Amino acid sequence: MSDTVIQPRPMGHPLAGQRMTGAQMIMQVVADEGVTAIFGYSGGAILPTYDAVFLYNEEQARTGGRQIPLIVPANEQGAGFMAAGYARSSGRVGVCLVTSGPGATNTVTPVRDCMADSVPIVVICGQVPTAMIGTDAFQEAPVPSIMGAVAKHVFLVTDPTKLEATVRTAFEIARTGRPGPVVVDVPKDVQNWEGIYQGTGMLPIPGYRRRMNELAERSVDDAEAARFFEMLGEAKRPLIYAGGGVINGNAASELSELCLTFGIPVVTTLMGIGAFDTTHPLSMRMLGMHGAAFANYAVDDCDFLIAVGSRFDDRVAGVPAKFAKNAKRIAHLDIDRAEVNKVKRVQWSHIGSLPDALRALTAYGKREKFQRDWGEWHAELAELKRTYAMNYDRNSPLIQPYYVIEEINRHTKGQAIISTGVGQHQMWAAQYCDFRAPRLWLTSGSMGTMGFGLPAAIGAQIAHPNRLVIDIDGDSSIRMNIGELETVTTYDLPVKVVVLNNFGDGMVKQWQKLFFKGRLSASDRSLHKKDFVRTAQADGFGFAQRLERKEDVPRVIAEFISYPGPAFLEVMIDRDAGVYPMVGPGQTYDEMITGDHIPSRHKVDIKTPGPSEMF
Amino acid sequence: MRHIIAILLQNEAGALSRVAGLFSTRGYNIECLSVAPTDDPTVSRITLVTTGSDAVIQQILNQLNKLVDVVSAEDMTLGEHLERELVLLKLKVRPEQTDVVRGYVVRTGGRVLDPATDCFIVELTASEPEVNAFIGDLARQATLLEVVRSGALGIGRSGRGLRVVR
Repeated sequence: MSDTVIQPRPMGHPLAGQRMTGAQMIMQVVADEGVTAIFGYSGGAILPTYDAVFLYNEEQARTGGRQIPLIVPANEQGAGFMAAGYARSSGRVGVCLVTSGPGATNTVTPVRDCMADSVPIVVICGQVPTAMIGTDAFQEAPVPSIMGAVAKHVFLVTDPTKLEATVRTAFEIARTGRPGPVVVDVPKDVQNWEGIYQGTGMLPIPGYRRRMNELAERSVDDAEAARFFEMLGEAKRPLIYAGGGVINGNAASELSELCLTFGIPVVTTLMGIGAFDTTHPLSMRMLGMHGAAFANYAVDDCDFLIAVGSRFDDRVAGVPAKFAKNAKRIAHLDIDRAEVNKVKRVQWSHIGSLPDALRALTAYGKREKFQRDWGEWHAELAELKRTYAMNYDRNSPLIQPYYVIEEINRHTKGQAIISTGVGQHQMWAAQYCDFRAPRLWLTSGSMGTMGFGLPAAIGAQIAHPNRLVIDIDGDSSIRMNIGELETVTTYDLPVKVVVLNNFGDGMVKQWQKLFFKGRLSASDRSLHKKDFVRTAQADGFGFAQRLERKEDVPRVIAEFISYPGPAFLEVMIDRDAGVYPMVGPGQTYDEMITGDHIPSRHKVDIKTPGPSEMF
Repeated sequence: MRHIIAILLQNEAGALSRVAGLFSTRGYNIECLSVAPTDDPTVSRITLVTTGSDAVIQQILNQLNKLVDVVSAEDMTLGEHLERELVLLKLKVRPEQTDVVRGYVVRTGGRVLDPATDCFIVELTASEPEVNAFIGDLARQATLLEVVRSGALGIGRSGRGLRVVR
């Protein structure tokens, strides 16, 4: 094999054989991939590609074709999260186009965030000209080294004849297997190079493609399925523990089919919210550190746990040995071999595409007429849901954040796209919002990046112009990318931004109260003079209001949600509202604190974990 | 336990640093590492020695197999294999010891590359324990000025070759 590009067959791309610049090739491949919007910020080293975007859209305007809008953020981090919001909400690859040096380094956080949550984006960065690489040139950064540590893959294109195939391969890598971010670093001279567009061709990545083919070919065979149903048949209390992999792998309908056919209840992780309709009686909602008490008790009680696209993360299984302590057996289905037996040993596993595997299991069970009466277990779970229901102080004169989210949920009915920042408001949204379908819940799960919510909502609104998109944010999280308020109005996006203001880093304060004797080191912002409403007004929000009285909540929320354009709402919530239930770091579900308004099965003393466990 | 892992890696910019980076970011240990081209100009072979429990080694292999440039990664320790390492030593030898040292080197299967007494250079290709013993013995017979080891190289003894299948 030569090191040149594979040319599988001379396909009839209408532009094949045409002479164009490297920059135009980048744009053409992006268009060929079906991308409907690009998110990015210009700069010296990416100028040729920005010009190619302009020329492409000019040509589309002339011929009546589909233009690809370029959405410009306030900061490249915003562009990265917009691409992520676009990808998470649509399942398509998001594209982010930035310049060299600071442009590229500002996207490191969203790239790592996408890696941690398995979100497919392609980041194309300008780089200083090939001859200048390594000379500490103006706006130079070692992008391949920096991104190599955080991305699924990084390409530095030094041979312009491979540029076209590289960009195409970047999309393939981003979307296949366990999805993730791919960075393509393109020196300016490579963008300015002229060559012949092929319209086809990929880079040879023999190991990766072989592994992808093996995954595609591996479905659950009858022997595997038989063993699975044998274990399921012996179970009296089976439970599915579904994670983000179900959503990323587009397996939600197959998961529902399996659950509904055989009557298996489901808990989901934070990332798995929406993988199964949260309003369905079989849904036990979210488990984990801030999961519903009834969800965590269901995990404690189950005797057969079926992990689907989930990975026993420390926010779920703080003490792996005591997680699902009564489960005699655990099964695990995942696309990523490295996640199986990483944290917890399992007795049955399948590595491969989740829709195929779930479909094969359901088909086998139906064919074998598998049937079990789990009525007793279902009744137990329904009782858990009633007894340990989410609750809060409904009589407080202060506005309770849960109440605000319940009001929002009354309007959205589990059909809106909801993004969040990170912290208390994120957990409240996860606990109190319904999600009837996948790809509606956009949150930074693994990385926990504050500032994610607003740009992610923008990206989602671009992908779904006619859907209701709400960013439920916190006063500290929204500050991190507050410049993107302007982006909302610049593009006149009807995004709804609600800030639950508790004057500080609420989750940090909660931990400081629990574990640091209430010393609120650098987390309180009571004395800050920031006026969020005037900020939103200054950025051109036609609806910008502050909600301060409890009795106004239903009316103002209704006006806010139904406002046709960009809308901003600041809600002055009870500053002492906490997130409950809570399983402290390094603690078991037995040690879950449920707060004053949710009953608990156990008497729990709040223990301060050792310093090493405190994260 | 000590494991020797063979990796075929595409010759791409940053590929080696991605392999090395995987070990550092995930807290795995690299005891030695050698990299060289193969007969296929697009592929290099890495031989790497690491230690860890079976679970850790399995994680290392799983994680290596997720790197896009990794064509294949195998734990040689799982099957019968041969291990060799090249060592070059520079010694300062007292003139009256020259014959003793030379005799030892030759008996051990090594070679004297330069017999100058103030810059006596020898080589040996052998297993890691033999190389360790060789260095220890010579350190008693002469003054060690420099130790240059290639790191272990490994090859499986089965009829199957670890090659790129296309």
